Amino acid sequence: MSSNHKRLSMGGRIDREQPLEFIFDGRKLAGYRGDTLASALLANGIILVGRSFKYHRPRGIFSAGPEEPNALVTLGIAGRRQPNLPATTLELADGMVVESQNRWPSLAFDVQSVNGLLAPFLSAGFYYKTFMGPTRRAWMFYEHFIRKAAGLGRAGTDPDPDGYDVRHAFADVAIIGGGPAGLSAARAAAAAGAQVALIEQDFLLGGQLLAEPSDSAAAAWLRQAEAELESFETVTLMKRTTAFGTYDGNVIGLVEQRDPTNPAGEARQTLTILRARSIVFATGAIDRPMVFSNNDRPGVMLASAARTYLNRFAVLPGKKIIVATCNDGAWRAAFDLADAGAEVTVADLRAAPPAALAAEAARLGVVVRAATRIVDLRGGHAVSHATLIGPDGQSETACDLVCVSGGWSPTVHLTSHLGVKPQYRDDIGGFVPGAFPADRFGAGSMMGTYSTTDAIENGHRAGTEAASFCGKSAPAPTPTKLDLGETAAAPLREVLSAGRGKAFVDFQMDVTTGDIELAHREGYESVEHLKRYTTLGMGTDQGKTSNFPALAAMATLRNATIPETGATTFRPPYTPVAIGALAGRAIGHHFKPIRRTPMHDWHRANGAEMLEVGLWMRPYFYRQSGRDVNEAYVAEMQNVRQAAGLMDISTLGKIDVQGPDAAIFLDRVYANGFAKLPVGRARYGVMLRDDGIVFDDGTTTRLAENRFFMTTSTAKAADVLSRLEFLLDTAWPDLRVALTSVSDEWAAMSVAGPKSRAILAAMFPALDVSDDALPHMGLLESEWEGRALRILRLSYSGERAYEIYVGATAGEQLWSRLLEAGRPFDLKPYGVEALGALRVEKGHVAGAEIDGRTTLDDLGLGRMAGKRTGFVGEVLRRRPAFQAPDRQRLVGLECIEEGKRLRGGAILFLPGEKPYGHGRGRVTSVTFSPERGHYVGLALLAGDVATEGSEIVAVYPMKAETVRARVVSPVFLDPQGERLHG
Amino acid sequence: MASPDFSLSVADYPLIQVEAWDRTLGQFESSLSASLGTNLPGSVGETVHHKGLLVIRVAPRRLWLALDDGAQAPALAVDPDLGCSVSLDEGRMRFRMIGADIARVLSKCIAVDWRAPAAAPGRAVLTSLHHVPVLFLRTGETACELIVPRSFSRSLSDWIAGLN
Repeated sequence: MSSNHKRLSMGGRIDREQPLEFIFDGRKLAGYRGDTLASALLANGIILVGRSFKYHRPRGIFSAGPEEPNALVTLGIAGRRQPNLPATTLELADGMVVESQNRWPSLAFDVQSVNGLLAPFLSAGFYYKTFMGPTRRAWMFYEHFIRKAAGLGRAGTDPDPDGYDVRHAFADVAIIGGGPAGLSAARAAAAAGAQVALIEQDFLLGGQLLAEPSDSAAAAWLRQAEAELESFETVTLMKRTTAFGTYDGNVIGLVEQRDPTNPAGEARQTLTILRARSIVFATGAIDRPMVFSNNDRPGVMLASAARTYLNRFAVLPGKKIIVATCNDGAWRAAFDLADAGAEVTVADLRAAPPAALAAEAARLGVVVRAATRIVDLRGGHAVSHATLIGPDGQSETACDLVCVSGGWSPTVHLTSHLGVKPQYRDDIGGFVPGAFPADRFGAGSMMGTYSTTDAIENGHRAGTEAASFCGKSAPAPTPTKLDLGETAAAPLREVLSAGRGKAFVDFQMDVTTGDIELAHREGYESVEHLKRYTTLGMGTDQGKTSNFPALAAMATLRNATIPETGATTFRPPYTPVAIGALAGRAIGHHFKPIRRTPMHDWHRANGAEMLEVGLWMRPYFYRQSGRDVNEAYVAEMQNVRQAAGLMDISTLGKIDVQGPDAAIFLDRVYANGFAKLPVGRARYGVMLRDDGIVFDDGTTTRLAENRFFMTTSTAKAADVLSRLEFLLDTAWPDLRVALTSVSDEWAAMSVAGPKSRAILAAMFPALDVSDDALPHMGLLESEWEGRALRILRLSYSGERAYEIYVGATAGEQLWSRLLEAGRPFDLKPYGVEALGALRVEKGHVAGAEIDGRTTLDDLGLGRMAGKRTGFVGEVLRRRPAFQAPDRQRLVGLECIEEGKRLRGGAILFLPGEKPYGHGRGRVTSVTFSPERGHYVGLALLAGDVATEGSEIVAVYPMKAETVRARVVSPVFLDPQGERLHG
Repeated sequence: MASPDFSLSVADYPLIQVEAWDRTLGQFESSLSASLGTNLPGSVGETVHHKGLLVIRVAPRRLWLALDDGAQAPALAVDPDLGCSVSLDEGRMRFRMIGADIARVLSKCIAVDWRAPAAAPGRAVLTSLHHVPVLFLRTGETACELIVPRSFSRSLSDWIAGLN
């Protein structure tokens, strides 16, 4: 194990009684409970942690939080592998296995670092300018190789053995951020009587207070605040929880990481959808980097991060340190580092840093170089020298750590998600949220106030107001003050120097000042264009450290102010979210809810191969019918044609339509009329969309003067009900009509075949099922075993057929009894494959033809509407484009090549025509027709070539098949409809 | 691991749905109230329990009449000029859930705040469970029911059982 040689013997918030082992790139290392991976790596002296995205430059640890652009690692192995995680946010756990990424063969020697030599050619837009030729398809060729070369970590391909969870949570007041402002807000809101959820991404509360020494007044304040919050039953402390997005209605998306000390059986991550009545944003601010040559070398670190590593994790990350800054805050890091034994030089841009700071520096032996800026760095895998320019000219100074601080950038991402535009404040040189609506509040440094005293005060105020918004106004005691002596930050508003080497603005996406200059030269001056052209801010860190420096650089180039240059738009997620967390438990057999018909268990117990049809499980075919689906469906359809078959049609959508205006309503929603439909009769109907395209079809039966029973296709059941309700609510609110889905009320089955009437007579001896009593499209209502029974004489197969509806609870019983009664007539069940084949033979259209592109006329159903007016889609169905002579219309196709078959999806061409492009049409449905002895199909074919008897070529590129077919009538069987009455 | 503080049972849930026309809501309610012998719930989500019948207002003009186990269905004659009724005897299932752990289990099912007045005992909320529309009925301090479509019931009960 490594030595932890950069770990101090005392201090920090780590538990030295709990040592942990972990593996980084195959090396066994040690850390402590309370470490992050980043702090443990630094403690072990590991400076080089990753390689950059494009140039494969060596990179180290830059920050101590979620803003980390460089130190991205892959955690875990096999199914637990997670790429692109910032080492700075990973809580160290015993046995953790981590590897660096985007390098080969090793982190220290990465072959693709040669990209750095090619850098002059790899500027922004390089790929899109270079790989566009010589042909239109060139990019498709290059893309594979470019994608292989680019990227960061690789996701695993093994199944993830861990569980994820999703849950809903609620609070009066949600407080995002557990720093001093958030803690103060939570305390105030809880004291006022509100239910509070305090959300903190870290595994410790405290925010920037954690960067204070563990024996300081800040630490005592933090302990007291945490104890107070824990004493409230109404406060939920959500540590290890990142608010990744905020959404309308004060919905907050949260991802909680499992506490590594908890049992492995718990969900690895839990997605919480939190709904809050009010929100306090206390998201803090991020230290701003400086832009100068080679500013990405390992060993360059934000000053605030260096202070965190020192005081929170007891790691002294360097011994010879340069602190480059423009503000007072970084001096505190310098003092603490010097106090811990480091040799520190402060290079401050300001000509005259405050005297008090200079005096303290002198006391601690810190060298101060005023009016001095850092312009370049040297070093390969770790920084070794810094070039400074000051009043005494240019000099190079040896160093092993460079701390940078260009001021603070308030973290306004989450407020932006909800549409609050960031506004520039010149006095702090940064963006703060614009005006909040009444139910949202801001506190702490995200509002641009950088002192702890102010954060506690305005946190208290925000918490009080947020609770008051929820009607909770009990007086809250004044918060305990904490003065850490911070002074106003003087922000850096410009890029320091480009020097000779690359000066990085966006470390993760390898965007340099040169790229921004190029974008400016090429006219991409808008922030949104700059972002897309250079990929600035498009990494997994969402440009947390790069956005402001990039804006400053572009503002300088445009000779404009920063607000004139604009602000980018932040979108969720704030930090990457694992797909597993979003899916939660909705995987495997819970991927989607399954619908089962009342006869489901019978099907399973009696040899049915089940098929998912939308959410429904339906019998595909029955194994006793044949060795495979092809054999079975032919046997099943032959049985229907020759004897009788029984089909479970419970999946049809069923809608109860009631009211004095029900007939008028149906007249308007169907293209064909229903007002004159007699009671006790059914009619096939087709609905159109507003644009004249066919929406759905089905039958509707008049049960009574004011009551109808509508059936829809299985696939469109929900859409049809939704559409009808929409029309009633918006277009015709004056109509007295009630719509109720009764799809789950009824078990439904179809008895089809020449022996179907005899079977019905045997099954229901008390009912008159003669043609007089129950004619085609007729209805018979009765009861069976005390439950409502409806028998409709309808046919989908072309045979005499009856649809039998009974209460769902009696469905399986009736199904079994029907089969029993039908046994002497050779009644057998059949599945959806046979059902489809039967309807193709009969030329009935279904979803493959009603595909959202076809009209009534295309489907040969134009006569149903005739000259009717006043129904939905009536006007636009007549538009000229729908009347074009080459518009595709429904035809039948007969395969005319021995031993070959038609396939659904095949593209149609004229004989001799080059098979290229979209052809003249397409095959929509096919089946082997026992009646015809060969394959037949339905197709949509251009009207100007759709002549019956003509030959067509069907091309199926997926299997490189070409087959000749003859265009025929789509009704392959019984065009006179005699079998319906047979 | 199954929690000893939570139990789920599934049963049929016969219902009658009644609905008023937009302009006759007042008359409809008076008539229905007289037929049932009780006041009707005033707003969506409120319920009234009376003589083995639970009346739930599920939409501004729509009520569900749910029978207690073994209770007789009321004889309803809805004037077609005022509204209509439809029997939903067969299409719904009731998930009865009881136990101290119920709030935790439910938080992984539906977006209903167990502590909110809108979800207090005697209240109903139309919501969704795993993308399926369900009616949440709070029946006690640590008890509730979910009324779910029959075709989804096995899939949804599997979902809940997996949480327990």
